[in-house]
Amino acid sequence: MFLQLLISGLSFGSLYALIALAMVIIYKTSEVPNFSQGEMAMISTFVAYTLLGASGQSFTISFIGALIFAAILGVFLEFVFLRRAKDPNILSLILITLGFEMILYGFAGWKWGADQRDLPFPVSDFDIINLGPAVLSYLNIATLLITLILMFILFVFFKYSKVGIAMKATQQNAMAARINGIRTNRILSITWALSSLIGAVAGILLAPIATLDPNLMLDPLLKGFASAVLGGMTSLVGAALGGYILGIIENLFGGYVSIEFKSVVAFMIIVLVLCFKPSGLFARHYVRRV
Amino acid sequence: MDSDFFSVDNLAITFGGLRAVDRVSFTINRRSIFSIIGPNGAGKTTIFNCISGLYKPDSGKIIFKGEEITGLKPHRIAMKGIARTFQNIELFLRMTTMENLMLGRHIHTKTGVWSGSTFFRRGSKAAREEITHREQVERIIDLLDLQSARDQFVGGLPYGTQKLVELGRALALEPELLLLDEPSAGMNSEERQDLTFWVKDIQEELGVTILLIEHNMQLVRDISDRVLAINFGRPIGEGIPEEVQNDPEVLKAYLGEEESIDAVS
Amino acid sequence: MDMKRDYYEDIQLLDSKVLWFWFLILIASLIILPFLIPNYYIYMVNYMAVNVIVTVGLNILVGYTGQISLGHAGFFAIGAFITVLSMTNLHLPFLLALLLAAFVAAFFGFILGLPALRLKGPYLAIATLGFGLAITQVIGRWQIFGGRMGLEAPGLTLQGLFFSGGSYTLESDRQLYFLIIPIAFVLTTAARNLMKTRVGRAFIAIRDSDIAAETMGVNTVYYKTLAFAISAFYTGIAGGLYAFLIGFINPSSFSFILSIYFLTFVIVGGLGSIFGSIMGGITMTWLILKLDKVQELPYLGDILSAFSERWMSVTGFPNISSIIFGLIIILIVLFEPLGLYGFWIRTKIYWKTWPF
Repeated sequence: MFLQLLISGLSFGSLYALIALAMVIIYKTSEVPNFSQGEMAMISTFVAYTLLGASGQSFTISFIGALIFAAILGVFLEFVFLRRAKDPNILSLILITLGFEMILYGFAGWKWGADQRDLPFPVSDFDIINLGPAVLSYLNIATLLITLILMFILFVFFKYSKVGIAMKATQQNAMAARINGIRTNRILSITWALSSLIGAVAGILLAPIATLDPNLMLDPLLKGFASAVLGGMTSLVGAALGGYILGIIENLFGGYVSIEFKSVVAFMIIVLVLCFKPSGLFARHYVRRV
Repeated sequence: MDSDFFSVDNLAITFGGLRAVDRVSFTINRRSIFSIIGPNGAGKTTIFNCISGLYKPDSGKIIFKGEEITGLKPHRIAMKGIARTFQNIELFLRMTTMENLMLGRHIHTKTGVWSGSTFFRRGSKAAREEITHREQVERIIDLLDLQSARDQFVGGLPYGTQKLVELGRALALEPELLLLDEPSAGMNSEERQDLTFWVKDIQEELGVTILLIEHNMQLVRDISDRVLAINFGRPIGEGIPEEVQNDPEVLKAYLGEEESIDAVS
Repeated sequence: MDMKRDYYEDIQLLDSKVLWFWFLILIASLIILPFLIPNYYIYMVNYMAVNVIVTVGLNILVGYTGQISLGHAGFFAIGAFITVLSMTNLHLPFLLALLLAAFVAAFFGFILGLPALRLKGPYLAIATLGFGLAITQVIGRWQIFGGRMGLEAPGLTLQGLFFSGGSYTLESDRQLYFLIIPIAFVLTTAARNLMKTRVGRAFIAIRDSDIAAETMGVNTVYYKTLAFAISAFYTGIAGGLYAFLIGFINPSSFSFILSIYFLTFVIVGGLGSIFGSIMGGITMTWLILKLDKVQELPYLGDILSAFSERWMSVTGFPNISSIIFGLIIILIVLFEPLGLYGFWIRTKIYWKTWPF
């Protein structure tokens, strides 16, 4: 049983890690926790669903279409709403993302209703490999692999690509970056596009295990935040590890302690981290300035 | 004058390898004015932040009236009778001047949730307390000539007035030791003269001991009893104003800082 | 502007004869009102009063102390469930049950305030979000709370307000009105008084500059948790009243979305204003009830229905209210950060100088 819990923990964990990564990328550049992250991913998943079903496109095309949609949605939120904030303090930025979240949630409910749908996914959760005491489904494998590949691309992108380095510069000191000829506004747009895209991948990978309805991402959103907090909110590696750790802890708790209260684990972890190690497990603490 | 009123002993604090304050010691006599001078970034404000409890020093002791206050929480230190102002004004911008000063009375008042929410008469406990302390605050408003700003939101007041409100708020706490962080910064010469008188008044009439960080040497010379000069977090000279000002070490520290050369000479 | 004669007038609730006059008119009309309007509107006013209590409570935390909360639906749920449960299981009289529930909510508020103390904005938002979700999940899975099915509020009696058992059933909306309105009235006045005196000033000081507040002797840890507890207390009371207003409570009515609705009330009314909270609670409740029946609106309802059938789904039609709330939040933040209160102040200034 332990092995089985570990496997599904890792599988869920990779989805949490993706959502956490998407949040951390935004948080690092704009210091906004993006509360519409979940609904952006949910809508993008519905777009994939619509492309697959109504328009009868192949999975690959629908997948890519959904990602392009997600990227545009991210840019839209940043460009149309956040950039317009007159007094961009934390509270108003959080409120804007919450407002956007409500709009997307309402739109999805209106367009697709409360019916639970299935997203046809090319890899099944029922084709399995026997590993002695535990089983590993093809979907598990696909999730793990896609996540790892995506993370690898991300790390390489941030480390070596020109845009990635420009992003880092913008994060650290937007003014200095601008003086050095980096178009920070464009970098900001790219950041939001990238973040939204990563979130959408998580949504599409989650849909076959969960059911596709407007509430798809409500819970995972919290898990994503918990993972990001665990990783310190500003560290990409931390967020990824945080996701895996949360997935595993949560599944072990569900298996050995109480399946009923499994979803309270994320909240408890947030509280414990904030109480005992507010800077997260993997980030350095900083001193406030007076 | 007792000499064990306030002392800092071997204070040191490091930020990420940088020694912001390095073995600084000084003693302030009761009812005197003590100034700390030094180039920008010398660690003056950091000393203030250690005294008022915002930073925890790595080592050293801060003694106030024979009692060690090192590392206490800021509000505990305020309750001992130490108030301060900030270099970059830290006022409550969406409160009126009166309310800002009333906040200064916080440690002297007691109204809690119950009595504060259930007063309906002039004679209620909360109302009585409120009235008494508003009268006290009015005296400070008179002292600093702030009547015209009394009921205005401080966010809309001019810079010089905001500085005064901040001074008034610190006074409302009835401190025995008052820390002023560059009180004259951004003031014109007229305002600065007024300030000089007020600081003198506060020391002489209210009997408050004052610790001052100041760039304007004229002001420092006019009012200080003793001066400590620091550079790179280290003390480089201490004494009466004239002594310190002519100390070759101090002059050297200031050279290169154009603004301060004429200030010193 | 008339001269103030003494310091009491600075904090007095009604500082002139004219205000006293209007105040008495207000009380008189509140007493007559339920005998003049049909039952549905009494229900509406009751609902407004409940939401005003929540808005005032949440504003103390968000508007005055500057701490965000995305989990107030959790306190609302605690208020509702504990009130009902302590009446059905512990046989407490209503008012005692309500008070108990409010203190339980306040206790949870205090606990929730603790971890987020050293931290600002984003962390607090995340922790409170987690709290709200956790509470509804626990309630939904625990049999004592009725599980997913929820609980029915017991019949309320006049005697049952003070003693357990008794007759004089208090079930009509009009009778509830005379229970809810006085409570809302007292709580709002208390909040206004509190914000004018020492505790309120400490809250505002923390919001405007917590560093200055603590160097002036304000124990920020204490006051931040206190703000959480008071805010949760108000929301708990409102939750308990809500249970009897609706008559039936189940966990799904206390979702994350409800927490955001509460926040919308506050920012529509105006952050840091009790008067604004009253306006915000009233107008937004009116809007919610209107949006529930958006199909019935003349013209607009037909157009939207037709649009829904053609392009959207018919079952999902009520979701339109989420969209509208989302838009309201964004528009207010972008264009009128002080909400209705800011609008009110500007109109007042405009009329003062009219026609110049």
